[in-house]
Amino acid sequence: MPYIIPHTNFEQMLILLRGCGLLYAPVTDSDGIIRFALLKPGMLPDLNAVRTLLPPKKYLLHPQEAILTYTHEHGYQKTDTEVQPLILLGVHPCDLAGISYLDQLYLNDSPDPLYAARRAALTLIGSSCIPDDLCSCQQNLSPLQSSCDLFLQQTDDGFIVNSFSLRGEELVELFQEILEQRELTVPADNRRFFGHPLRPVPRSEPDASLPEWRELSRHCLGCGSCSICCPTCSCFDVLEFGGLDRNSAERVRRWDNCLLNSHARIAGGVSFQKEMADRFRYRYRHKYRGFGQLQGIPGCVGCGRCRATCPAGLDLRPLALQLEGGAS
Amino acid sequence: MNRSIPVQAHITAVQPMTDDTTLYTLRCSDTGEISSSDTVASFLPGQFLELSLPGVGEVPISYCGRPSPDGAIELCIRHVGRVTLPLQHAECGEALGVRGPFGHGFPLDDYQGQDLLLIAGGLGMAPLRSLLLALLNQPDKRGKITLLYGARQRGKLLFLEELLALQEQRRIVLQLAVDRLDETMPHPQECRIALLPALLDGLTFDPLRTYAVLCGPPIVYPQLLSGLKRLGMADERIHVSLERRMKCGLGRCGHCAVGTYLCCVDGPVFSYRQLSGIEGALE
Repeated sequence: MPYIIPHTNFEQMLILLRGCGLLYAPVTDSDGIIRFALLKPGMLPDLNAVRTLLPPKKYLLHPQEAILTYTHEHGYQKTDTEVQPLILLGVHPCDLAGISYLDQLYLNDSPDPLYAARRAALTLIGSSCIPDDLCSCQQNLSPLQSSCDLFLQQTDDGFIVNSFSLRGEELVELFQEILEQRELTVPADNRRFFGHPLRPVPRSEPDASLPEWRELSRHCLGCGSCSICCPTCSCFDVLEFGGLDRNSAERVRRWDNCLLNSHARIAGGVSFQKEMADRFRYRYRHKYRGFGQLQGIPGCVGCGRCRATCPAGLDLRPLALQLEGGAS
Repeated sequence: MNRSIPVQAHITAVQPMTDDTTLYTLRCSDTGEISSSDTVASFLPGQFLELSLPGVGEVPISYCGRPSPDGAIELCIRHVGRVTLPLQHAECGEALGVRGPFGHGFPLDDYQGQDLLLIAGGLGMAPLRSLLLALLNQPDKRGKITLLYGARQRGKLLFLEELLALQEQRRIVLQLAVDRLDETMPHPQECRIALLPALLDGLTFDPLRTYAVLCGPPIVYPQLLSGLKRLGMADERIHVSLERRMKCGLGRCGHCAVGTYLCCVDGPVFSYRQLSGIEGALE
């Protein structure tokens, strides 16, 4: 028999969670925008919201952050960054898969220290959702795992609770007083669209002669919104700022964007992605074919944010269907 | 091995090569606490490192010399970018940062017993010099080495004396080309006034026991590749070292994809077989 947190105990759960770390969840702000934000006492999360403006990647890779400091005496050193325990509540299956993608990229044989520290301090509480027309999780069948510590499945009576890690078990323990065991049929949730066997991704290049590229890139404004709001876009630029004492410096990484024409430009002014269409295909390859060590793992998790944000209303789904085939 | 934090390296020699290019020799500081300081200097030709000029930034630079037991690193740098321009004021004794090595170098094992046709355009000579020195260091393992090297003009030819000496000693066959005559300098004998691909004309080699290794500005690739194909070279026997905007070296920053390869981890050395058909790889 599944354990549930009845709706009446939901606020009690939030109080218990706040005792474990900083609690963040989707919130509809006064500006009408749904974003992951700190859930202060008295605030309620919006667990029915389909998507937040930005995915939770912002907690693992800050839009701009110092990665190294330099002093003449000690050379380059890792920036001391205090990492606090952080709980993300209400993360949808697609965003959980997005974090799995970033884990593969940032926690491989040469782990990124900042990402690794933040990831280790992060508790993920997933929640079920109802996809809208912009979502494509059901068509993607991603090989990425939609993993979390605890998953909350919404039902009429409350949230069915399932644990998937030691940390999840600890939370279940913590929730003892607010859990009830009930006779319920457990509905399927969108995690079923993730963790599928890897399908062979074409080794050949996407056919650049298709008229769709020209059409899409003609309308694309090159603003890069689709990339900013993508759960698996994590391109970063690295900048260095010299101190006024001429003896110190800070190295910073900041989100970069493959739709911008500076992205592939090297010293001397040569760019390897000169045209909008080149950059458009660059992004396409990342989203549907995967780069480098993650070659063959499509980066698209189907969250639909790129479609929701695009000021020109562009949608890559028809082209992807044509080039990659549908879910099988 | 931590390759995300630069270790200190001091400039031990500065040798101007041309009006805009300098050969630097660096030596990693022996701090005794950073174990990776040894490894930055143990590389394969074709690999690259990330060079930091404190307060300014970091750039990917190919190794230009030979791995040396005393940890010296040679880098041949053209001063054209945001980091390399201020670098020209750096002097002996100054501390820089280095991390690496990164990427796949030239497949030296494949080259054993084979003839090598090295083709360098401009600054492309820097990584090919590293390969050339490694090949010369293993005289029993290599066949004939031919170097075709082109630059805009006489004054832009890098390592010219060193290369002419090697030719003199009959250790390499050297063919030079410059785009135009330089009135202010003596013109080396047998240096043609031609574009680099013209050096392929009349060249004889056995395509079945030769590897061609190319490094140059993107503009020279299409003609060189079609020339090599015409001479019977198979795609897998043509190797290219590519330049891209490699900010991190770890396959993360996302700037250097060539098709779905990442230049910093899957390259920068690729075979033409890997790259053929990939949009923008060699143009």
